[in-house]
Amino acid sequence: MKPLLEVRNLTVRYATNGAAVTAVRDVSFELAPGRAIGLVGESGSGKSTIAGAILDLLHGDAAISGEILFEGVDLCRLNSKQRRKLLGRRIGTVFQDPFTALNPAMTIGRHIAEPLIHHLGLSPKAALDRACHLLADMSVPRVRDVAAAYPHQLSGGMRQRSLLAAALACEPPLLILDEPTTALDVTVEAQILALLADLRRHKDVSLLFISHSLGVVREVCDDLVVLYASQAVEQGLAGEVLVRPKHPYTKGLLASLPRVVVSGRASRLPSIPGQMANVAQPPQGCFFESRCPYAEARCKTEGQALLDIASQRRVRCWKAADVGDWPVVAKGAAATPRFSRSDALVNVVDLRKTYRTSHGLDAIRVDFSGQGPALSYRPKSVNAVDGISLSISPGEVLGLVGESGCGKSTLGRVVLRLLRASAGSVEFDGVPILHQPEKALRHFRRSAQIVFQNADSSLNPRLSVGEAIERPLALFNLVPTADRRRRMEALLDMVRLPRSYQTRYPHQLSGGEKQRVAIARALATEPKFIVCDEPVSALDVSVQAVIVNLMADLRDEFNLAYLFISHDLAVVAQISDRIAVMYKGGLCEIGVTAEILRRPRHPYTKALLSSLSVVDSENESRSGRLRLFGSIEAEDEQISGCRYQARCPYKVGAICETVRPPLRQISQGHSAACHLESVPANGVAPSYANPPRS
Amino acid sequence: MAAPSIENGAAPSVAHRRRLPGAVILGGTILITMILAAVMANWLAPYPFDQLHVRDRLTGPSLAYWAGTDEYGRDVLSRTLFGSRLSLFLGFAATSIALLLGVPIGLVAGYYRGLVDELLMRALDVVMSFPSLLFVMLILAITPPGLVKTALVIGILFAPPVARVTRSVTLDVMTEEFIVAARARGERAAYILLREILPNVWPAIVVEGSLRVAFAILLGAVLSFLGFGVQPPAADWGLMISTSRDFVDVAPWMAITPGLAMSLTVIAVSLLGDGLREHLDPKFHSRR
Repeated sequence: MKPLLEVRNLTVRYATNGAAVTAVRDVSFELAPGRAIGLVGESGSGKSTIAGAILDLLHGDAAISGEILFEGVDLCRLNSKQRRKLLGRRIGTVFQDPFTALNPAMTIGRHIAEPLIHHLGLSPKAALDRACHLLADMSVPRVRDVAAAYPHQLSGGMRQRSLLAAALACEPPLLILDEPTTALDVTVEAQILALLADLRRHKDVSLLFISHSLGVVREVCDDLVVLYASQAVEQGLAGEVLVRPKHPYTKGLLASLPRVVVSGRASRLPSIPGQMANVAQPPQGCFFESRCPYAEARCKTEGQALLDIASQRRVRCWKAADVGDWPVVAKGAAATPRFSRSDALVNVVDLRKTYRTSHGLDAIRVDFSGQGPALSYRPKSVNAVDGISLSISPGEVLGLVGESGCGKSTLGRVVLRLLRASAGSVEFDGVPILHQPEKALRHFRRSAQIVFQNADSSLNPRLSVGEAIERPLALFNLVPTADRRRRMEALLDMVRLPRSYQTRYPHQLSGGEKQRVAIARALATEPKFIVCDEPVSALDVSVQAVIVNLMADLRDEFNLAYLFISHDLAVVAQISDRIAVMYKGGLCEIGVTAEILRRPRHPYTKALLSSLSVVDSENESRSGRLRLFGSIEAEDEQISGCRYQARCPYKVGAICETVRPPLRQISQGHSAACHLESVPANGVAPSYANPPRS
Repeated sequence: MAAPSIENGAAPSVAHRRRLPGAVILGGTILITMILAAVMANWLAPYPFDQLHVRDRLTGPSLAYWAGTDEYGRDVLSRTLFGSRLSLFLGFAATSIALLLGVPIGLVAGYYRGLVDELLMRALDVVMSFPSLLFVMLILAITPPGLVKTALVIGILFAPPVARVTRSVTLDVMTEEFIVAARARGERAAYILLREILPNVWPAIVVEGSLRVAFAILLGAVLSFLGFGVQPPAADWGLMISTSRDFVDVAPWMAITPGLAMSLTVIAVSLLGDGLREHLDPKFHSRR
């Protein structure tokens, strides 16, 4: 079959201040009609640049060589006016961030109708009707209402559906998706991926899918190109590449993915050491040589060619046939210590945080329905944290998972008294901390620290690494002034950064390095407890594994307790002793990691577990998996019953709508808040065995 | 777009950072030269600023009078040189006062937010809602005019915009997590304001300040023009330009030299401001 899109020897060079940077080097692939190809790689691998080259979105200083044949025409030879005509009409595009991709001043209907009017010359009314049909195709409920809505009124998943509808409006044969699910919650991601699979079945569309996530690619794509430092290192059928990877980098990437498995305290994720080769000054030999455990002398000097090893299968490694599995880190014999509630370091009881969403003048409503206008004052509020109790022992890691907006970050900050609690109590080391004056908190401030998700924002761009780490030492007068520098260097050693980094500024560091500095700064006060607020979510997979391992090492070395907050259950499972699952401000389930993973009791926990992608199993089908409908929406009304009832496929009945289930202990160290736990097991309809509505 | 990020172990070393950008050097040189000229006007100026040469009234540039003479036969170059003392003093004094008042107000309002913010900002709104020229004229009309007082009044008038810029950037910086990290260490407000926030707000202040110098000189010129500023026979640039208006068809040179001096100052200050902003940003040092 003649390919729809064929990229031949594509090379993209940027000329930046005299130094030429090659962002994409000699990449070739083809996409047959009806198929889906995935481009995967970490940040800086060049995957988005390829999409930019196809879409003519690169800056003027990018020099493109090679051919991009779309329906037999070389796009590089067309002028920009001819290319613009193809965009939207023949090539649809969906970008990563549904929150910024829609113009806030335009209704959803207009977004979708626009290309129809522009490209197909439909009348506005006909275009709007088409738009509603398209929305219906994207399984959007109440299409008329959605079409009339403005972007801010919709959830992230709905917006991404609308963008898909707009991209598919003119029925283009090619759809380019650049990280379309990265900004979404896992349950919503699963819905969008299912929708894409559905679209491929029912519409005649080919996908070029760009992602950093191997799991997502596995689910959507037939073919795969793995990119590393501007080169394709491995390509072939997705199932083949991911199940039987040949290139060491692909192996390392797959190995460093955290699995949802019960892992002991001693286990560490396999990781890829070092950093991606600098594409501005590429090494002479293989680009992966410096990080490759199988490298030989020859790899350092000889460039690698992309070789065919089977039909449709190419690998850029001359040793591909002899390379074994990625080396697994040897496990130590550390036993999981037993934690008991009595010696809790952090003790949170019935903690609440309420945000007033409207108050003062905003909350005054005028009602004209009766005789004459009636004034009323109706302040609204949201319970971000709604009566949570938990405790953490010294040296224990409590994982906290939940989707965005569930209140997990708020909980972390209220516990550290960075936000004022509305009610409840927090004890640290036996001392209640919520109502003390800030001056009396010196000990607490020293012993409890925080590490953030976004290392960019957590380091002051004006302070050098050394200054940032020395500041806590000076603040708490931990070491004599003369020794401060030595202590700072010791801290750099602890987070495995070279000492020379102390004079650097944050912008000169990579994401993983910044996160190490942030960890070193938190460690400087010699804390006992660290709130880790999504510490690895913004990092690439290989870096993520290194940081998680580092945090586990530091925990063992200094007997640190963590409140490890993340949306990613797999990462949490890797490091946590216990896991708490949070939904809409409340705890659904809390228990020992092994219990939560093997015997989840709450329907929401089950949904989270089943929305995780499986990367390297032979069987790629998702059938029989529990799919979660809807998404968390901001509620200003107080829900009276179970927080989860609106999305729960196992709803027992009226009781779920009226009575809030309390957190009940199921077994030693495992509790869940669900009515199913209290319904007698005499076979009254509800049971987990029932297939969820789907 | 994924322009390749430079994430290599051998990032440029920081040892040689702090090389001054060209703009700073150029702007600084012009400004220092002008200040020196103002200070040494007594020696540099070919004539005293108020010496009349009645025979040579309204003569064009010549060897005797490089920049020509005005309607009383006074040397325009000498008057420009002496005038620069007044104009430059006004510009920098007024700006310093505006920064001294505005920056702390903006920082405090942005840091504490809530009621403090509301009160400070509404108070500034009152000052800003007054037509500035009217306000200055009012003050200067009811009290005897004087250069220091003019600078003070203009400084007060310019404080609200400075405070607003400072506040908006502070609000931005406040959302950064390093501020939360500082609070999690139990840092005092003074430390957070001065060490964590101020360095990040500084670039915006520098740019705003350099604009304010230019505005202050211009406003001073307008005041002199209207007769509320410098009193004859002394002259600042504004007054010189204003009196030249009646002779612009016969003696255009009367306006050109003071006008050039004013533009040069404004350009130099903005070059300096822009260059300093770049210089203060660590990001600009490794991107070379």
